Amino acid sequence: MNIHLKTALDYIRRTPFQALAATFVLAITFFVVSVLSILVYSSGQLLRHFETRPQVIAFLKDEATSEQIAALQTKLTRDSRVKNVTYITKEQALAIYKEATADNPLLSELVSPSIFPASLEFSLNDLSFAQAVIDETKKEGVVESVGFTANLGTENSLNDVVSRLRQLTFYIRVGGGALALVLAGTSFLVLVVIIGMRMTTRRGEVEILDLIGATPGFIRSPIVIEALVYALVGVLVGWLLTLLLTLYATPSLVSYFGEIPILPKTTGGILGLFGIILAAELFTGLALALLGSLLAVSRVRAR
Amino acid sequence: MIKVVSVTKRFGDVSALEDIDFEVEEGEFVFIMGPSGAGKTTIIKLLLRELIPDKGQIYFDKVDITKLREKEIPSFRQKIGVVFQDFKLLAERTVRENVEVPLAVIGIPQSEWKGRVDTILELVGLSKRSEMFPSQLSGGELQRVSLARALIVNPKLIMADEPTGNLDWDTSQAIVELFEKINKEGKTVLMATHNRAIVDKLKKRVILLKDGKVVKPKPKQEEAQ
Repeated sequence: MNIHLKTALDYIRRTPFQALAATFVLAITFFVVSVLSILVYSSGQLLRHFETRPQVIAFLKDEATSEQIAALQTKLTRDSRVKNVTYITKEQALAIYKEATADNPLLSELVSPSIFPASLEFSLNDLSFAQAVIDETKKEGVVESVGFTANLGTENSLNDVVSRLRQLTFYIRVGGGALALVLAGTSFLVLVVIIGMRMTTRRGEVEILDLIGATPGFIRSPIVIEALVYALVGVLVGWLLTLLLTLYATPSLVSYFGEIPILPKTTGGILGLFGIILAAELFTGLALALLGSLLAVSRVRAR
Repeated sequence: MIKVVSVTKRFGDVSALEDIDFEVEEGEFVFIMGPSGAGKTTIIKLLLRELIPDKGQIYFDKVDITKLREKEIPSFRQKIGVVFQDFKLLAERTVRENVEVPLAVIGIPQSEWKGRVDTILELVGLSKRSEMFPSQLSGGELQRVSLARALIVNPKLIMADEPTGNLDWDTSQAIVELFEKINKEGKTVLMATHNRAIVDKLKKRVILLKDGKVVKPKPKQEEAQ
């Protein structure tokens, strides 16, 4: 085994409570960071769902000709604010209605295709365009009325939905970011204190190594490796806890949010998402450990 | 190998060394002798570049070590084996691990360590103590470990600062005999000591220090009078 790694592991073994304290703080930090990452991802997915699913339905007048409908469809398709324009015929509208009322056949028997208007359904690239697009669509001659499919809680206008979702996402991102920064700062300080204590207790050893010609890098290596071990274990524990928690909660979340894909639907997708989180946390954790240990070493040696 | 030219070192108002000059040739065994406070340890520290003289130059292999940059000091120290009065061993490492440290410092592949350490421990008579910790060894054994650590990287120069200072007479003799043996194998040895008996026994060149100055050793009869 490499002499620096062996020395670092010896230090950890000799002071198990310091090692536990450092690992515990880092594990909590990265657990919270992992949970926040999932929340940020899910809130983003939620927002994207409402922004991109077909939300606007332009109900067409019965007398609208196919040429007029085609012209409006082309106009909407060319509009850069609009996407996924779909023409729904009266028959398709009836089929959708029948499917929606499948558990009550009496309701579907009472209606004929003629009472359902044909419509053009489309979604928007950004919900901030919604009001303007809807107002413009209402002015089209072939359009009878315009409806929204987005609705959340008691809000009944698209702007309310958008502003509520945006607010929610903003709080998660800013609040979560601030919390993550505070925890990362605390972890950094804990690492600096523990590594500083280690350097102080090793002062005699450092002096001996200095006298026999050890380079500053050689003297620093076990200390830096020790901090990296703490960070590595802390990241893995925090990340693993979040993965287990997410896997445990996924069935309830999927059932609560229904068709809204707040988490990837496949195992591969979830593992991919967690893989990205792990990579980012490893990078952050190792950078924290590296900076913390180098700062602690330089401060103690400067004294 | 070593040339000390007009070196002066002061600590505040106290003059530790005053205009010191001496040379040590390759392969020599030289004692730096003098009472406590004469400046022996200061010379060792200057030669190790632990201290910088206020005045003068110190040459090691024709390089003025007083002008070494901070980052050049480790590689300079790697060329010298040092033995200290207080042994300076790593208390939480075994004898073998203590001796291995300089090999790691100079980057010798780990595969070569065992053979080299076994040979050196055999030389200093500690083969059977290799897995013991410093706290389990006697003073003489600790000094042998210190000597083994100094020798393991095959340095040209061995410096010893009062290596027998903490040892009884018999153990001191055994340690000094080891130094003599190493010197006969071609290593240069520079030993600081206040132990006149040891100096007399080995009959090697002596640099005598008194109050920070080099003085000419007096003939024995004159000293006795």
